[in-house]
Amino acid sequence: MLTKKRLLTLVLVFALVLTTGAAAWANSAIFWTAPNPPQEVFWTEMAKRFMAENPEYNIQVFPMAEAPSSEATILTAIAGGTAPAASENIFIGFGAELYESAALVPLDTLEGWDELIAARNMEGAIKGWAFPDGHYYILPIYSNPILYGWRIDILEELGVDRIPETYEEIIEVARLAQKEGLFLMVRPALGMPTWWERWFDFFTLYNAISGDVPFITGSEITADDEAVIDVFKFYADLAKEKLILTQDIPDAFATDNAIWSELGPWTFPGWKEQYPEMVYGETFALTMPPIPEHHKDDAAGNTFADAKGLVLYAQASEEAKQAVWDFIRWVFADPAHDLLWMEATSLPPVRDDLADNPVFAEYLAKAPELVPYAESLAFAVPPFTHSDFADIQTVLSEEGLIPVVRGTKSPEQAWEDAKAAINGILNR
Amino acid sequence: MKRLSRGEGVTGWLFTIPYLAYTIIFFVLPFLWGLLLLVSEWNLISPVREFVGLGNLLEALQSRRVHAAALTPFKIMALFLPAVLIMSLGIAVLINSFKKRQGLLAVAFFLPYLASGVSMSLVVKGVVSYTSPVNKVISNIIGFVPDWLGTPSLAILVIALMIAWRFSGYYALIFLSGLQSIPGELYEAAQIDGAGRIKSFFKITLPQLYPALYSVIILAVGLMFGVFTEPYMLTGGGPNLATHTWYLEIYYQAFSTLRAGYASSIALYNAIAVFIVVGIVRRIMQAWGRAHGWED
Repeated sequence: MLTKKRLLTLVLVFALVLTTGAAAWANSAIFWTAPNPPQEVFWTEMAKRFMAENPEYNIQVFPMAEAPSSEATILTAIAGGTAPAASENIFIGFGAELYESAALVPLDTLEGWDELIAARNMEGAIKGWAFPDGHYYILPIYSNPILYGWRIDILEELGVDRIPETYEEIIEVARLAQKEGLFLMVRPALGMPTWWERWFDFFTLYNAISGDVPFITGSEITADDEAVIDVFKFYADLAKEKLILTQDIPDAFATDNAIWSELGPWTFPGWKEQYPEMVYGETFALTMPPIPEHHKDDAAGNTFADAKGLVLYAQASEEAKQAVWDFIRWVFADPAHDLLWMEATSLPPVRDDLADNPVFAEYLAKAPELVPYAESLAFAVPPFTHSDFADIQTVLSEEGLIPVVRGTKSPEQAWEDAKAAINGILNR
Repeated sequence: MKRLSRGEGVTGWLFTIPYLAYTIIFFVLPFLWGLLLLVSEWNLISPVREFVGLGNLLEALQSRRVHAAALTPFKIMALFLPAVLIMSLGIAVLINSFKKRQGLLAVAFFLPYLASGVSMSLVVKGVVSYTSPVNKVISNIIGFVPDWLGTPSLAILVIALMIAWRFSGYYALIFLSGLQSIPGELYEAAQIDGAGRIKSFFKITLPQLYPALYSVIILAVGLMFGVFTEPYMLTGGGPNLATHTWYLEIYYQAFSTLRAGYASSIALYNAIAVFIVVGIVRRIMQAWGRAHGWED
């Protein structure tokens, strides 16, 4: 039989367990990272440090499943009511789909948003991330401006002493390379309708000419017609003279088969292991995308930004949202964390001061190939905001770019057909 | 007929329930959910689920991408079916001719079937890459490097042969068991009557292999309507939708454009196409079997 003393002890223990459990529950949240081990390592470390400083929180970090796609994983989790409190790996096009489905929290309505933006020095960078209702639903974490690599060692052998900047100059250099059995560029994706590939071959060049003119605004095509046709014509000219190869040569740029290639900052960690001879400033240089000669004076000089950020999911409990928001604010309040991010992932954090902040100086000095990326962040335009992003870029491929590269349509006709197909999607 | 006792009935149900539950959970409910989806324009999470009636089915009927996806299985089949039959039958005859170590040989040929489609696609991608040794040899002979994945007919050929390579070992096992069940007396009798090896093959082996042939052909035809990994990895459905398959289109609509309802309508057409084509092939095979003395 229980004595009074034992009963009291039991009640006390039970109460203690309940109180502790409730406290942990109140400050618990699940955060999904991209299915990329370096990003998972970073967020796990951040959660560990945050909880060491704030033991009342319980932030659990998991990588999101990649199959069949990270987008599908998020959608099914939301549909099943099992979405985390927050996740990263959201690009603005998918963000638009989630926004239209009322699945996201407007971050600028949360306490501490302005302070976070100021602390992370991203007042300029955040502007391109506003949604049609004026709110911000994605906090951009990293932005990969797409730059073009030139094999300067091969250019030197070809007798070219200046890196080409215009389409016309590039064609001249490509002809010289062709005589030596080299391709200007090797890009099998130019024959494939895979929607996201257009970010790296079409939008890089398009943004260089058109600048801030959005490709789609609301349900309307607002693209700069002349810029689109210029880009199509450039590819048509290159393909016609067989200066580019649409068949595969593995790592063609690093294996001396091509002299020009679009490059993101994620390329270099792999090169350091596989192609140590690829040294920035010695074998290759990085430039902004080229432009046509007739736009030399008025081109915007922008490029495409492969940028992703984090969101908070509306269906999470208020307690979980608050906990994860506190965690996020803590992470981005300190530039040292962005440095840790860059060291772990090689992906440039979205900050206006990345190139000048002394916190990053030492790292950038050790990785000089990332300096051009840091410097071009301000000129990197994220993807257009529309929930039909995949369909739009697929028909841009099927009706526009691919027939142009194959020589079955003129650039003007291809753009006319692509526009008609895109309008069909926008008016669906 | 004798009625089952109560105890026997309960036992029967107990044995049946797991299968029934499995069927209901993994087939019936998803099918009903798919039917519900196909009359909606919905991304699975939006609070607004628009009822579109037969809109998705009609849209799919008019889609160039769906037309391409409907045609591709037949294009692949035209190359795949003869290739896989010749290869698997050849492997089976080869293994059967060995007196020892048949199991080891069968496993060796079966291995490609166990390999993942992704890793096999990467191997094939290397083989057809512009600077591969194979292409260097071809280039020396014909003077240029064929654009294997950029030319519609060649891309289909590559995919068909790749799938044939993967499945020939598996189908060879079915043929092998068929070959081993043919009584040796039939060949002896044919030999006495003066039949040669070729005549024996066509007059005895092939007709006697009818059950195995029937299984292999039905499996192979059904397989053509579910091709995904190879074109996804190698061509993305291109060039110009030449290798675009049913599953690529369903995947694209469900997971890239996030149109679950529209993807369901395409999946329904896919199921109908499989049903019709397999039905026709079944009838043809049964007619051939009857002509050679087999009963349905």
